[in-house]
Amino acid sequence: MPMVKTRHLLLKLFFSALLVFALVLIYLDVRITATFTDKMWEVPAKVYARPLELFVGGRLAADDLAYELEVLGYRSTGNVRGPGQVNRRGNTFDIYTRGFDFPGERESARKVHLVLDGGRIRTLSGNGGDIDLMRLDPVQIGGIYPSHGEDRVLVRLDEVPDTMRLGLLAVEDQNFYRHWGFSLTGILRAAFSNLRSGSVVAGGSTITQQLVKNYYLSPERTYRRKINELLMAVLLDMHYSKDEILESYINEVYLGQEGPRAVHGLALAARHYFDTPIQQLGLHQQALLVGMIKGPSYYNPLRNPERAKKRRDLVLDVMVEQGVISAEHATVAKAMPLGVSTQQQRIRDTFPAYLDLVRRQLRQEYRDEDLTTLGLSIFTSFDPVLQRQVEKSASGVLKQVDKSDVLQSATVVTRFDTGEVVAVVGGRNARYAGFNRALDAERPAGSLLKPAVYLTALEQPRRYTLATVLSDTPLKVAGPDDSVWEPRNFDRQAHGDVLLHEALARSYNLATARLGMDIGIENVVDTLRRLGVEGRIPPVPALTLGAGAYTPMDMAAMYQSIAAGGFRMPLRSIRDIVDASGEPLRRYPLEYERTVSLQAMSLLHYALREVVREGTGRGVYRYLPEDFAVAGKTGTTNEGRDSWFAGFSGDLLAVTWVGRDDNAETGLTGSTGALKIWAHFMAEASQRSLAYRMPDQVAPYWIDNSNGYMTGKGCPNARMMPFIEGSEPAQRTDCSPRTNVVKDWFQTLFGGESP
Amino acid sequence: MTLLTSFRNVTVALLLLVLAGCSVYTRQEGPAPVESRAPESTGPVEPGRPAPPPEPEEPLYPEATPAEPNVSAAYGPLLKKAEAAAAGGDYQQALALLERAQRVDPDSAEVYLALARTYAAKGDYSQARATAERGMLYCRNEIECAKLRVLTRSR
Repeated sequence: MPMVKTRHLLLKLFFSALLVFALVLIYLDVRITATFTDKMWEVPAKVYARPLELFVGGRLAADDLAYELEVLGYRSTGNVRGPGQVNRRGNTFDIYTRGFDFPGERESARKVHLVLDGGRIRTLSGNGGDIDLMRLDPVQIGGIYPSHGEDRVLVRLDEVPDTMRLGLLAVEDQNFYRHWGFSLTGILRAAFSNLRSGSVVAGGSTITQQLVKNYYLSPERTYRRKINELLMAVLLDMHYSKDEILESYINEVYLGQEGPRAVHGLALAARHYFDTPIQQLGLHQQALLVGMIKGPSYYNPLRNPERAKKRRDLVLDVMVEQGVISAEHATVAKAMPLGVSTQQQRIRDTFPAYLDLVRRQLRQEYRDEDLTTLGLSIFTSFDPVLQRQVEKSASGVLKQVDKSDVLQSATVVTRFDTGEVVAVVGGRNARYAGFNRALDAERPAGSLLKPAVYLTALEQPRRYTLATVLSDTPLKVAGPDDSVWEPRNFDRQAHGDVLLHEALARSYNLATARLGMDIGIENVVDTLRRLGVEGRIPPVPALTLGAGAYTPMDMAAMYQSIAAGGFRMPLRSIRDIVDASGEPLRRYPLEYERTVSLQAMSLLHYALREVVREGTGRGVYRYLPEDFAVAGKTGTTNEGRDSWFAGFSGDLLAVTWVGRDDNAETGLTGSTGALKIWAHFMAEASQRSLAYRMPDQVAPYWIDNSNGYMTGKGCPNARMMPFIEGSEPAQRTDCSPRTNVVKDWFQTLFGGESP
Repeated sequence: MTLLTSFRNVTVALLLLVLAGCSVYTRQEGPAPVESRAPESTGPVEPGRPAPPPEPEEPLYPEATPAEPNVSAAYGPLLKKAEAAAAGGDYQQALALLERAQRVDPDSAEVYLALARTYAAKGDYSQARATAERGMLYCRNEIECAKLRVLTRSR
């Protein structure tokens, strides 16, 4: 009887164990099938700069092209033979491009010959003759990483060079295509050496086991974990094809550390160590990466080059032994240096202020988790060449005006024709991802808001023109709680009667405040809204002189609409988003909305051009050539706490702020601080002079600048200015009263519709 | 067709150049330009009492900058592709191609015209109008301007 009981108990135990084992199996199986495919494709979003467009006649400085190629990681060689190589001789470049899959269009890798002349592309040709238009691959400026900081670049198995794939199998798992996920001989060998040493020291792992370990298991070495690994490897092998497993392994394998981020996958490692896409690795580089898998930090070619070279050569020997390559190839490869890019490219994530802008735009539409796992490609309008220039201008000028190192500055640059933000500087140290002043520093705008007051007035042509006489005399406005607002001019003077255009050009506060009160503060608020200022706008009289809190980005939105000639468009940093398989997901199209009168805007441009020719912004022509037309406005807040300049040429808009984080006085005005950075930048970067056609229904007249009367050419104080049709002054001076026949004739011919 | 257009453009441009000589608002005559900038040593140039107003130093509306050399050869193929895409009903692709063309030459009224036409064909009349209006800031001759003007009335 006891015998039976015991047997019964054993049987029970046996079945229980079987049940537990089955449950464990099911659990592991579910875990694998539920997550393997996801893990395979978990990739952070990549953020790209704009691709550089190349065409004959296009403006491009040789040094800028060289810089672009440098940040792209193109390698200088005497003889250009493969993708990613360049040979520069002065203004002549031979480039073997890498090619790139752009959303909707593919740009193939090809060898091109490019000659620059006088800042333009003179010759652009390839093997097939002249090239009309092409683009380089875009610089990757960053990624959207999960908090644990893991970066990956996925490749498909067929993109991995054959020699590399076979070399990997030869070194790591020669029976990969034959075993069931584990290798008995491997385990026995490992068990034997473990027995001898008394602990678990050797792995004997197949590629499948290594993958399971990386994906699912903690790194400690215990028998229990080893059994788990074995079971899961078998399950994985049952569920997925060998190629799928190998592909996952290639994308997952750990190959070192890049600062806070782990380098996973052969493709990312290829870029990290060699600055080269995996498809273009040389045999010696392939062998090195394969060899490093055994111990990424032990064989790190940057820190332990000799060890790494020994390991690489050993891998090459194994590849010969296994018939992957010939002995001759191995000899050639062994003679090569390690080929590691010594000058580590730090281009990614070195533009924190711009990436910050991209992230904020993304987070309005995507969940963080999607951004860090879906492998999206995000194409932005970021321009590394302009970014470099604006950083140079800002740091150079600050060094000159601020010996004490306390000033901060921020700049936003857009191409106003498309509303694309191309460069952002968020602080004095542009590399430091701290407080992003371009987006977050909220400051009073000073005179930067004045154009909104004048535009509101000019939109009522029956009441206001550029020649309207304004009164620049003291005023007091009663506010809440018995307070009185009593603005003053910068020079503490009152200037009496001044014409409207001059009051803006010289930034007269009294005239502006009076004008604002006359047209109504709520109308000024409305104009600011129509110009694209979001956020809070205080509807108080002091608004006319810049009251409120605005970021440089807010001001960029406002001046973007002005620069574009009266069209509001959302400031864009993202052009396209493409999913992991290359399918376009989202396009951010160009959208114009005309929100102010084109004619009134044209008159405002006249006054803003006068600002830089004769008014408070004259200083810009210390930097710019005399015949280069720009328009802009200075801004200074009380006691010089903030120094602003906003302005545009024919292609670029830039808004610059200079001030202190503690909001203390700077001793600067708009024209002694921000203006200098702005003008220095524009002189270096802008390629087109401001040149809008005069809109329909606007005509120029000679005006006596002392009283705003119509006058004739050559008369005293005569000055030509534009008027919206029908709004030209009725009064005339005695001088030269005849109408301007030539103009009328000219206008009928070319100026647009006949009246 | 293209030859004819360019011939026309050249003729108009030449005519403009000749006429510019008699134009009153593209050129300033009279006294030599007055140096109006403050000397370097005067420090801040934020509002101070101005010097007597000088003659404007630049033309009221600068002559439209001449078309960039060869640029139309660069974006021409994009316009053709865009036209084909639009004809096939793929307006997204057409607009993407035209935006690329616009980046190549942001001041080309021709590109604005193509953009406005594509929006109109797509039925997006408000974008067609706004784009045509904006293009009119860049048209270089009355023919271009007239084509855009028609589209500013799209509905």
